[in-house]
Amino acid sequence: MKAPPAVKAPKHEPHPDEHSKTQGRIVWEQFTKHRVAVVGGTVLILMYLIAGFAGFLAPYGMNEYRRSPVSAFVPPTTVHWIDPDTGRLTRPFVYDVTPDRDPVTRQRVYVEDTSKAYPIQFFVRRPSQPYKLFGLFESDLRLFGVEEPARLFVWGTNNLGKDVFSRVLYGGQVSLTIGILAVWVSLTLGLVLGSIAGFYGGLVDDFIMRLVEVFAAIPGLFLLIVLATLLKDPRNPLAQAFGLRMDSAQTFLMVVVVLGFVGWGGLARVIRGLILSLREMDYAQAAKALGASESRVMFRHLLPATASYVIVDLTLAIPGFILAETGLSFIGLGPSEVDTASWGILLRDATARGISIQFVPWLLIPGIPIFLAVLCWNLVGDGLRDAFDPKKRR
Amino acid sequence: MLPFIARRLFHLIPTFIGATMLAFLISQLVPGDFFATKALEPNVRPETIERLRAQYGLDQPIYVQYVRWVANIVQGDLGLSFSSNQPVTNLITRPIQNSMILVIVSIVMLWAMAIPLGVYSAVRQYSLGDQIVSTVSYFGLAIPNFFFAQVLILTIFVVRGFTREAFDYNQVLLPVAGMTSNGFEDMTRFQQFRDIAWHTIMPSFVVATAGIAGFTRVLRAQMIEYLGSDFIRTAKSKGLGARAITYKHALRPAIIPFVAGIGGLLPSLIGGAGLVEIVVSWPGITPRLLDAITRQDIYVVLGFLVISTLLLMVGNLVSDLLLAVVDPRIRYS
Repeated sequence: MKAPPAVKAPKHEPHPDEHSKTQGRIVWEQFTKHRVAVVGGTVLILMYLIAGFAGFLAPYGMNEYRRSPVSAFVPPTTVHWIDPDTGRLTRPFVYDVTPDRDPVTRQRVYVEDTSKAYPIQFFVRRPSQPYKLFGLFESDLRLFGVEEPARLFVWGTNNLGKDVFSRVLYGGQVSLTIGILAVWVSLTLGLVLGSIAGFYGGLVDDFIMRLVEVFAAIPGLFLLIVLATLLKDPRNPLAQAFGLRMDSAQTFLMVVVVLGFVGWGGLARVIRGLILSLREMDYAQAAKALGASESRVMFRHLLPATASYVIVDLTLAIPGFILAETGLSFIGLGPSEVDTASWGILLRDATARGISIQFVPWLLIPGIPIFLAVLCWNLVGDGLRDAFDPKKRR
Repeated sequence: MLPFIARRLFHLIPTFIGATMLAFLISQLVPGDFFATKALEPNVRPETIERLRAQYGLDQPIYVQYVRWVANIVQGDLGLSFSSNQPVTNLITRPIQNSMILVIVSIVMLWAMAIPLGVYSAVRQYSLGDQIVSTVSYFGLAIPNFFFAQVLILTIFVVRGFTREAFDYNQVLLPVAGMTSNGFEDMTRFQQFRDIAWHTIMPSFVVATAGIAGFTRVLRAQMIEYLGSDFIRTAKSKGLGARAITYKHALRPAIIPFVAGIGGLLPSLIGGAGLVEIVVSWPGITPRLLDAITRQDIYVVLGFLVISTLLLMVGNLVSDLLLAVVDPRIRYS
C-alpha cells in the first residue's frame, strides 16, 4: 500500500475491499471457511505442541522403568477423588500397587495397597530424570507426578514396565516429524528431477521417466522393507563407505531418506506434466523471447506456478509417510527401538510373543494418535485443495 | 487390439529390466554374503566355503552374477535359496498364493461394500446417510491397517468374554490368527475350503476398509456428474423408472474407472495387506519376505521382488485392456 501523495489530495482512507487481495490472503480466507479443515489444523497444532513439550507433560522418562518390584503390564492407574475416611470430594490421589497372581487364570494382577494415599502433585521436580526441551533447555520440571514408591501410569505400562502415556508423548516427536522430513526429501527429488524432465525433454526426459516407472514397478512396501533392513545394518557397503555407525540418530535419518526415496516418483511425474504445459504458455514464451535465461524462466516463471499443486500434494503426502513410518516401526524396521519411541514401536509391544491382547488392551492406545494425526493431515490437505481451487470459492 | 497388446508388452521389457537391475543393486547392500557367517563356524573348512561360493556364482563379478540371474529368470528359474538349498520358485509359490487369496477376497468385499455406499451417497447427496458414509470413509482412510487388525482381534476377544459370561458360549466369533485350523490336513476338501474362508473374513475386511474411502468418494463424484448430464434427463423424460436410471444409465459409466482399476488394485493390495498378514500371522508374502531378508537369503528376497513387480506390471496392462473392453469410447488401434 503506498502512502497518499503529499498534502494536495484530500486524505483518502482505503476501504478494505478496495485493494485486491493477495493470493495467499484469498487462500487463507477460503481455508478458514472450511470448518472441518480448521478443526483438523487446530488438532494438529495441539498434537505438535504436545510432542514438543513431551518432556514437561510426561510424568516419566522415555525409557524409565523400575526393576523391582515388577511393574510390567500394570493397568492404567485408578485416580481416586473421594476420601475413604470422610466420603467427601478431595484432591485426586492414587494408591501404590503390588503384583499378585489371579488364583484362577494365573494371570499377573496388581492389587491396590490402600494403606497410604499418594496425592497427585503438580510441577514436580524429578532430578533423576532430566530432559532437554526442544533439545536445548535442560530441565527436570514435570507437569504432574506422584511421590515414590507409588506411580501414576495414566495409560498403563508395557512388558518392561515403561509408562505408555509418557512414551506416547515422546513417540509423537518421532512419528510426527518423520513424515514432514520425508516429504522434504521426496519434494527435493521430485521437484528437481520432474522439472528437469519437463524443461529439457528429449533423452533426459525419457531417462527420468523410465526411472520413475522402474520405481513404481516394485511394490512400495517391499522396497521399503528391503531397503530399511539392509541399510539398518552398520556393515552394509554404503554405511562403510560413508563411515556411518548407524546409531539411533543416523538410523532415524536413514528411515527419513528411505521413505522419501521410495515416494518421489508420483510428484516428479506430475511436476513434469505441469512444467511441460507451462513451458508452452504465452508468458513463458514471452520471457524467453525477451532474453530471460533458462534459470530465470525456470525459477521465476515456471516453478512458482506449480506451487499451489505442490503444497496440496505435500500436505496429502505427509499422512502417507506417517503411516509408512509407523508401519515400518511396527515390524521393527523403523528408528532404533533401544532409545527411540515411535507410535509404531509402541504398537509393536502389543504383538510381542506370549501376549494376549485382551489382558493388556491399553497397549493399543498408541494407535489412536496415529489415526488422529493421519486424519487431521488429510482434512487439512483437502481443505487446502479446495481453498486453492478457484471453482470451489465460497 | 493384438498389435496394441504386443506394443504394450514390448514397452514392459525395459521397465522390467530396470526393475530387476534396481532390485539386484539393492541386494548388493547386503553386508558380506550368506556364507560370510558360515565361514565363521569352526568346523567348516575354507575350501568348502569357496566351493559353495563358486556353486552359487558368488565368486563372479557383479555384472556376471546379474546377467546370469536375469537369464535364469527368463527361463523361469529364480535361483536357489541359500538357507534351504531349494529352488526359490518352490519356496515363494505358496506365500504368493496365500496372499492372493487374501487380496482377491478383499477386492470382492471392497466392491460389495463400496458400490452400494457410493451409489447411496450420490443419490441421497448431502443427506444424513451421505454425511455418515463420508465421515466413516475418512476414518477408514486414516486408520492404519495393522492397528485396525489389532483392534478387531481385541474386539473378538471381548465379545467372546461377553458371550461366555452371558450365554455360557465359549466359542470365538472369528478366528484371529493364521489361515487354517489345527487338523487342516485331515479335513475333506469342502471343510478345508470352509476353514480357509472362515479365516479370511477378518483380515480381508481390514484390507478392504483402506480402499473403501477412496473408492466411495470417487464413485460418488462420478455418479453425481452423470446424474446431472443430458442423457439422464432424456431417460427421465421418456419415463424410465428411478431404479433403471440409477443403475443402468448412471452407475454403468461411473463404474468404468474401477473396472479398469482392478488390474492395479491387485498388486497394490498385496503391499497393503502386508502388515495385516503380520498381525494375524497369515502365511503370505510379507512375513516370508521379512524372514528371508533377516537371513540374508537374497535370492528368495529377489524372487519376491521380481514376481510382485511382474504382477504389478501385468496388472497395469490388464487394466488398460479392460478399459478398452468396458468403455466403448476407447479404441486402441
